Amino acid sequence: MGNNIIIRNMNKFYGKKQALFDIDLTIEQGMFGLLGRNGAGKTTLMKTLAALHRKKDGEVIICGIPVEKAKKIRSMTGYLPQDFSMYPNMRTDEALDYLGALSGIPSKERKQRVESLLKKVNLTEHRRKKVKELSGGMKRRLGIAQALLHDPKVIIVDEPTAGLDPEERIRFRNLLCEVAENRIVILSTHIVGDVESTCENIAIMDEGRILWKGTVRELLENARGHIYTANIEKQYMSQIKKEYIVTGMVTQADYTTVRLVSDAEPDLPNAVLTEPDLEGAYMYCLHSNGCNVKGGEE
Amino acid sequence: MLFRLECKKILRSAAFLIYCVISVLFFATNYYSDCKGGVYLGEGTKIVEDHDLIMHGALNSLMGEYASNKYVCYPFGYYKAVHLKDKDQQKIEGYLKEMTGTDDKQFEELLASGEKYYLGMPDKPEYGFGDIKMTDGFSYDRFLEIMADTDDMLGGGSDYAPESLTALFSQVAMNEEELEDEYKTFIEDDKVTGGLARLFCDYNGIVLAILPVFVAAWLTANDRKRRMHELIYTRDISSAKLVLTRYAALVSTMFIPIVLEMIIALVQAVVEYKGESLDMTVMFTLPTFWLLPNLLFTTAAGVLITEVFSAPTAIFVQVIIWFKATINGSRMLSGQIGRFDLICRHNSPVDRSTFLMNQDNFIFSRIFWTVISLVLIALAVYAYDAKRGGRFNDIRLFGKDGLLRRKA
Repeated sequence: MGNNIIIRNMNKFYGKKQALFDIDLTIEQGMFGLLGRNGAGKTTLMKTLAALHRKKDGEVIICGIPVEKAKKIRSMTGYLPQDFSMYPNMRTDEALDYLGALSGIPSKERKQRVESLLKKVNLTEHRRKKVKELSGGMKRRLGIAQALLHDPKVIIVDEPTAGLDPEERIRFRNLLCEVAENRIVILSTHIVGDVESTCENIAIMDEGRILWKGTVRELLENARGHIYTANIEKQYMSQIKKEYIVTGMVTQADYTTVRLVSDAEPDLPNAVLTEPDLEGAYMYCLHSNGCNVKGGEE
Repeated sequence: MLFRLECKKILRSAAFLIYCVISVLFFATNYYSDCKGGVYLGEGTKIVEDHDLIMHGALNSLMGEYASNKYVCYPFGYYKAVHLKDKDQQKIEGYLKEMTGTDDKQFEELLASGEKYYLGMPDKPEYGFGDIKMTDGFSYDRFLEIMADTDDMLGGGSDYAPESLTALFSQVAMNEEELEDEYKTFIEDDKVTGGLARLFCDYNGIVLAILPVFVAAWLTANDRKRRMHELIYTRDISSAKLVLTRYAALVSTMFIPIVLEMIIALVQAVVEYKGESLDMTVMFTLPTFWLLPNLLFTTAAGVLITEVFSAPTAIFVQVIIWFKATINGSRMLSGQIGRFDLICRHNSPVDRSTFLMNQDNFIFSRIFWTVISLVLIALAVYAYDAKRGGRFNDIRLFGKDGLLRRKA
């Protein structure tokens, strides 16, 4: 039984509309980042891997099991959907206990699992609180706890940090890294920072297609020679945003230092080539694949 | 274990609380108040096998329906107004002439003697007859042949079905002695609680054919409403185990107030009939056999329709089923139970003989609706499993993308 996820030539349709095109991907143990804009098809891919959606054709094998064998897939995957909640009037520990029962975990074992998971996600002191009384970050941590209940080999996490404050986001990323030991964790996100700090291997999706796959280092290498910084007088900023893909700005007293993506050396007096960061590399990847990413355009 | 957790979830819900309140209020204002101070026998009727009475009643009824060309039928227990084509109307006319011994002219005169009335439709009068007599010496066997053929023409389930004739057309008022005998039967044969249990079931049958759908629809729609469905879909549990456990939890919890009402009814009977020998078990056994199929069906229909469409659709469909079933039930309030009646009526603590006369139909109907319920819940398992795997999502009857709108 393999310890990876293999996706070969997978297509998915919603009625007549094609949502995923020839997806070809191999995901090994550890954290894997799936990066893409909203509407790129990440959630559709995540749901297909979680046996919630049916693919039209192609092959998806999770740890040696074809995704069509939904019952087996469910027993080995934990899923945290993008837009999830729990019964608001249930207590935190009750909600976990209920989901544990649905996973077929015996009562005694369940009690122990709930205890240890609440501790792991730092919710022990909130165990008696009702779900509706938890903050957004606490709910996401509870979400991870429920995904870990049956000790799955694969964890699929869809846009987990959206809407979290920076502190909770960092805490959540660290938690994901912890649980990724001896597991496959797929993190789907549109926030580059989530992937940058947690994943070694990533794929970039847009409009239902995989645009790029490889390591973070390879993605950075790919963008080398295309990321520049320049000091721009404020009155020229709107023009710069129209002409280039601006990925960062630092406002100074009478000028703005911008980071921008460009195929060739920009026609700017003080533009200098700079070391690519992941955000710039991601934007360059989208741009070089023909996506409209004039992020700074007004 | 999961069963206990599901029960706990239901017991804590507002939908269940409202269900309990309405159920208890209905019980208190109907059964409990009816039985307070002992039962009132009133001016009872009884069913007798009187051929003359049967023929007279059926003839006058058929005459009225023929004149209106509106034959009320209850195929599979549901109301249906049948309008015959000219050819069939002529056949009925022939039978009526044969039974009344009239020629064309005399028959026209008979028709003209009917009382005209309107039921909602100002341009469609209906007619009633009460005094038309059978021709002398008309054979009862021939009468039965005519009735059977008429029922066939109407598609079955009419008042002229041979098995319905006696119950419908041969009721006579009881005299004082018969009323005393009826009371004696109530005390000695029904041992009080047998008769009271039938009345208890009569009222609760109405409630259990509608109220459970609200709780079932709530529980079934709750996962999606609370955005918890995907967390549950991805669990290890089989769809069959989950749906059946939830169904069992719904039925069990919703039967709790009914059991409590049974206990109250029994205590009330013990208090009201001090000194009589009461059957202490029938208040539990008969309502369970009588009412459980209603609860099973209404819950199963609620679960299935909510799973496939939505909670409002489930409630809408069940309201229609309930409305038709109550119309049908109100036709025969005293134990004349049809084979396909969802709501079995017996709005009297006495009249044991009528109930026993229809016992086969009663047993058939209870088994029939239990089997239907099991079929529906099996379909609900299939629907749940399909949705869980990404099929049949977002099917709606109503709304922008609803099936009804698409067809329109």
